[in-house]
Amino acid sequence: MRSRALPLALVTFTLMASMVLVLSIDRIQKATEAGFSQSVSGVDLIIGPKSGSIEMVLYTVFHLGQPINNVTMKTMNEIESSPDIDWLVPIALGDSHKGFRVVATNLPDYFEHMRYGGDLPILFAEGDASSKISAAIVGSTAAEKLGYKVGAELFITHGSGNAIEKSHDDFAFQISGVLAQTGTPIDQAIFVNLRGYELVHLGWQSGTKVFGVNNVNIESLPDHALDPKTVTAAFVGLKSKFKIFPFIREINKFPKEPISAIIPGVALAELWSIVGLVESAFNLLSWMIILICLIAIVTLTIASLDSRKREMTILRANGASLFYLARLVIFESLVIGLTAVSGAVLFVTIATFFAEHQLSSMLGIKLQTSFLSLDELIVFGIILGAGLLSSLIPAAFVYRRNLHQGLS
Amino acid sequence: MILETNRLEYLYSSGQTIRFPDLKIRVGDRVLVTGRSGCGKTTFLNLIAGVLKIQKGEIDLIGNRFSSLRPTSLDQIRADHIGYVFQTLNLIPFLSVLENVRLGIQFSHQRTSKVPEIEPEISRILSALGLPKNILNRQISNLSIGQQQRVACARALLGKPELFLADEPTSSLDPKSTTEFVQELINTFDPSKQAILIVSHDPSMVPFFNTVIELDN
Repeated sequence: MRSRALPLALVTFTLMASMVLVLSIDRIQKATEAGFSQSVSGVDLIIGPKSGSIEMVLYTVFHLGQPINNVTMKTMNEIESSPDIDWLVPIALGDSHKGFRVVATNLPDYFEHMRYGGDLPILFAEGDASSKISAAIVGSTAAEKLGYKVGAELFITHGSGNAIEKSHDDFAFQISGVLAQTGTPIDQAIFVNLRGYELVHLGWQSGTKVFGVNNVNIESLPDHALDPKTVTAAFVGLKSKFKIFPFIREINKFPKEPISAIIPGVALAELWSIVGLVESAFNLLSWMIILICLIAIVTLTIASLDSRKREMTILRANGASLFYLARLVIFESLVIGLTAVSGAVLFVTIATFFAEHQLSSMLGIKLQTSFLSLDELIVFGIILGAGLLSSLIPAAFVYRRNLHQGLS
Repeated sequence: MILETNRLEYLYSSGQTIRFPDLKIRVGDRVLVTGRSGCGKTTFLNLIAGVLKIQKGEIDLIGNRFSSLRPTSLDQIRADHIGYVFQTLNLIPFLSVLENVRLGIQFSHQRTSKVPEIEPEISRILSALGLPKNILNRQISNLSIGQQQRVACARALLGKPELFLADEPTSSLDPKSTTEFVQELINTFDPSKQAILIVSHDPSMVPFFNTVIELDN
């Protein structure tokens, strides 16, 4: 073995690098899926107008598309008064600011209840969630792209376009907080106070401005005037997880209004299965790398075949049995394989440990510092097995041909 | 009787057939097989060593009939009873002298049992063959051809196999070294337990042997 230290070290390194790739891809794939399905956590149900679960999760969590209908606040209040409900945070969607979607909600309740990536709270990089009617909170990406800091003012636009005539330029929201990066759609959103949102829509009818609110004295408005009449959906926390399914049935049969409730985790998993092409691509990539690993092993075996055949023939001429020769090559490929596996696992574990925080805050990917999963063990088993089998080639050669052919 | 060959014939792929003389070797015999190049000396030796499969005739080595043995059993018989110095020496270049010589008994319990202390015995044989004491841990690739030939002989002699075979062991030595080498070899082998069969085309070796067979086909 020591006579071929350099080529063996090189093949061990190649094998290790391939295994690092296989491990990394597998772990990033799993973490991406976990991160995706945990884009929103801490929420038991999302209640909105009657629609499909994927549709609802798309506009409430990913802020993509538009809801067809709204739900009256009366209905939401009635649901909130149910004894099973722990908390309910309504959201109103539809407006935007310079291309970023605006989410009107109860501030600061939203940030108290919403979680992401398992059980991570949404943190503020700057400022906090004010309960003022003009309060706005900007997601990290939106703040960075627009150069916003706490104290800056912004006007929101009706709908998702940039049309000036649709601008709610008569009421300025003031940024009270900038969020830390989460790697979820929250980073791209601008949150405003729901009552403020109601205020800028006071003078609007059917998507057209009838009168501005610049001259409206907010103080003089009666308390209930800014209570929202309708909202898009609501995030709900229940007192007991056991109540989820009975509660969904109750909501879906709600007599006064066509509404439905979805479990966000289930809907996100459904959505992930639709974008499963990504997963297949990941899998394909992994198998291609495994194939390259195997080619590397077989190439080394074939490259070293001549010197190995001679060495083994000499051993056989001195009486070494086939069992001894097989044990020799198996031991060697086990040493290579296990060194490569241990090196790869060690490297990935250390890299995960150091990159965990960066990946989590930048991409919302939460890598698990785990040893080896069953899937990974199977893949490594296949690679080691192929390595062992191909290492037997020279031993088989030595026994198949006449001894004198290898000795002259 | 250590070795007996009977009506051995070998058909080469070229179509040429060689008939070998019948041979009987007893303990203490020193046999030299000579003949011009291409007369089949190495083939004869390879057949006797069980390296080449018998096509016709029979070889009996200490009661073991080669024609009835499987290749793996033949490998074991060779490891137990024959020390073979190949023409190409067949030393493993990256192993040390000690490791190469030890290969001679590594796969034979029988020969190992005859060597109570391996390292001193290897040193003794190497010294008897005229090699310096400090050579034990040197790599084969750092030795001269003459030294490598002695190491190959030491490997074949370790554990006192009944039959010592050597194929042109002095091919790369000058006449003076050849005489010294053969003398050392004969001094090292144990005539009460072993026999020597050497193949060589060098006539200067004849005086050292009690039987000389000339192959002429």
